[in-house]
Amino acid sequence: MKRTAADIRKAIETNWNEYLSKYGNLFSSDFISGSSPPSVFVGTYGYPKVSVGPMLPPVHGDTTILDSPEQWLGKSLEQIVNYRLSLVRGIQNMPVTNPTGKYIESLHEVAMASRPIDSDIQFLKNTTPVTSIDGENPPFGPIGEIKTAKFSNSSSDKHIQKIYYDKDLLAQDSVLELYNKGIEISRIQKCFSIGMFGKNRKLVPTRWSITATDDIISKSLISEIMQFDIIDSCQVFFFNHIGNFFSVIIFPSRWMFEMQEAWYDQQGNIGFGSDFEDGRGLDHYPATAGAHFASRLGVTEYLFKNKVQAAALVLREIRPEYAVPVGVWQVREGIRMALKQKPVLVSSFEEGLDLACKSLSIDKKEWIAKSNLQKARKQKSISDFF
Amino acid sequence: MVFSAKTSGSDEWKAVISAISTLVEEATFEATGEGIAFRGMDPSHVALIDIAWPNSAFEKYECDNDVKFGVRIDEFSKLIKRADKKDSIEVSISEENLLLVTIGKNKKYKMRLIESSATDTPLPKISYNARIGVTSTEFDKILGDIQVVSEYLSISATASKAEFSGRGDSGEAVITLEKGMVEMPEIGVKEESTATYSLEYLNSIVKAVGTVAGTVICEYSTKMPLRLEFKVANIGRIHFYLAPRVES
Repeated sequence: MKRTAADIRKAIETNWNEYLSKYGNLFSSDFISGSSPPSVFVGTYGYPKVSVGPMLPPVHGDTTILDSPEQWLGKSLEQIVNYRLSLVRGIQNMPVTNPTGKYIESLHEVAMASRPIDSDIQFLKNTTPVTSIDGENPPFGPIGEIKTAKFSNSSSDKHIQKIYYDKDLLAQDSVLELYNKGIEISRIQKCFSIGMFGKNRKLVPTRWSITATDDIISKSLISEIMQFDIIDSCQVFFFNHIGNFFSVIIFPSRWMFEMQEAWYDQQGNIGFGSDFEDGRGLDHYPATAGAHFASRLGVTEYLFKNKVQAAALVLREIRPEYAVPVGVWQVREGIRMALKQKPVLVSSFEEGLDLACKSLSIDKKEWIAKSNLQKARKQKSISDFF
Repeated sequence: MVFSAKTSGSDEWKAVISAISTLVEEATFEATGEGIAFRGMDPSHVALIDIAWPNSAFEKYECDNDVKFGVRIDEFSKLIKRADKKDSIEVSISEENLLLVTIGKNKKYKMRLIESSATDTPLPKISYNARIGVTSTEFDKILGDIQVVSEYLSISATASKAEFSGRGDSGEAVITLEKGMVEMPEIGVKEESTATYSLEYLNSIVKAVGTVAGTVICEYSTKMPLRLEFKVANIGRIHFYLAPRVES
């Protein structure tokens, strides 16, 4: 029997509630002691006054996996959700401007830490577990307002430390420098959100900082890619995980990019989101939001690594099995993984599109109807006539 | 090195900058003894602008050594906009490698130059089979008329008439200009030609320079790029090349 979205949510909720009843005293308490993976979080609600704080589970040891999406590929949705739910989020409310003072500086230390960092948090009241999972928002562990927070000494990542003390480096250049040094995106993004980069430092809600990090890096890659020679073959890539099916078509053209998303709602109707851009960049905030930038990052990394210019069409079909959204990292890692597979070579874009749609349940006609890339392909470039 | 170029009014620079700003954010100009030139493509390589601004078009022009200078168009534009229509504009390069811009009698600006990353852009090699001259006000109107139903403009020309058309989900539009109409002072067709171009690009260039140009010359061939020539008083010419849309 096929599991529906509701079944999966139910199963995750049951697991979680079992976990809570077993370790309930650890989660519903006014004190927590544990190792932060390390992890920090900045909320969106109430902007420009936001809730800021560390995340940690009620256990000590190597907790790295709990907030390292780069290591989550191959895990089941239940496992990933449980990672998220086991992190207790401590918060204090503060304005986004001028992130200084003892509390914020200790969070900077957390974000820079090269290993999980032992922490003791005293809350004002008992933390409250969130027991329902709605399928719209990424799930969360219990939340509590912090009275005092103590973090043990930690050794900092040298590359991040250098950028942190360089108060003349622009935020954008900080992101690029750390990326080029091989620092994981999820780590760069945490430092970004907690106000560790740039001349005028500010807290950036986690959700926005993820998009900004993907955007800054892929934009910089695009400007390089547009100098490369155009690829000479048409390639199709596939990958699927946790109920997300990806098809990527890479074909000879000047740089163009389109990401299309389709999903089934509760009634079984199909919903669509689609955004197109060419060398001039995006002219609107994408309908697919962070997923656009996350998939663009995966594609530009591939083209940059192979030193070629091309156009790409990314199709993402979200099946009902993806019952709990767990964040855009899964799009980024899904596309990265797709582009590590052996491509199927085809002779034309049309053939590629046929193939790409074959592994999806939604019909090719539906995808084409929503595509602006289809229209843009008819536009020749002046350099074709030199 | 001596380089200095002075125009008697400000419209010329305004037209040049506004044309370039439709395609790029940074521009590299090349000054030689013959005058000032610019050539560049938009990032997606759909359109190309080629400007030749001869020394004779300036009130005063001196250049004893070829020089390239790069500017950020938004920065340069803000500064030029401070000039009234009748203000003269004199441009030169200082020893500290800043752009010196003197507006009218008493305004002096120094502006940073940027490193020019521009590589030499060639021109498309095309022989044009159709040549149509349309007044710029009429051309602007045609674009507006077609845009009501379509994102693209198709042009068909025969020896006796030019047809501008477009079609979209809501319907179709055709505007016909017959030989001899005042709106179309010129038509010359070696071979009947039809091609389709993006209105988005056409609109932005015509809004930028159309108003200061008397007549727009359209040259093209079937399924080949379009070249628009804007003759602007005191600038020589601005050539705008636009790649076609082709149903494959």
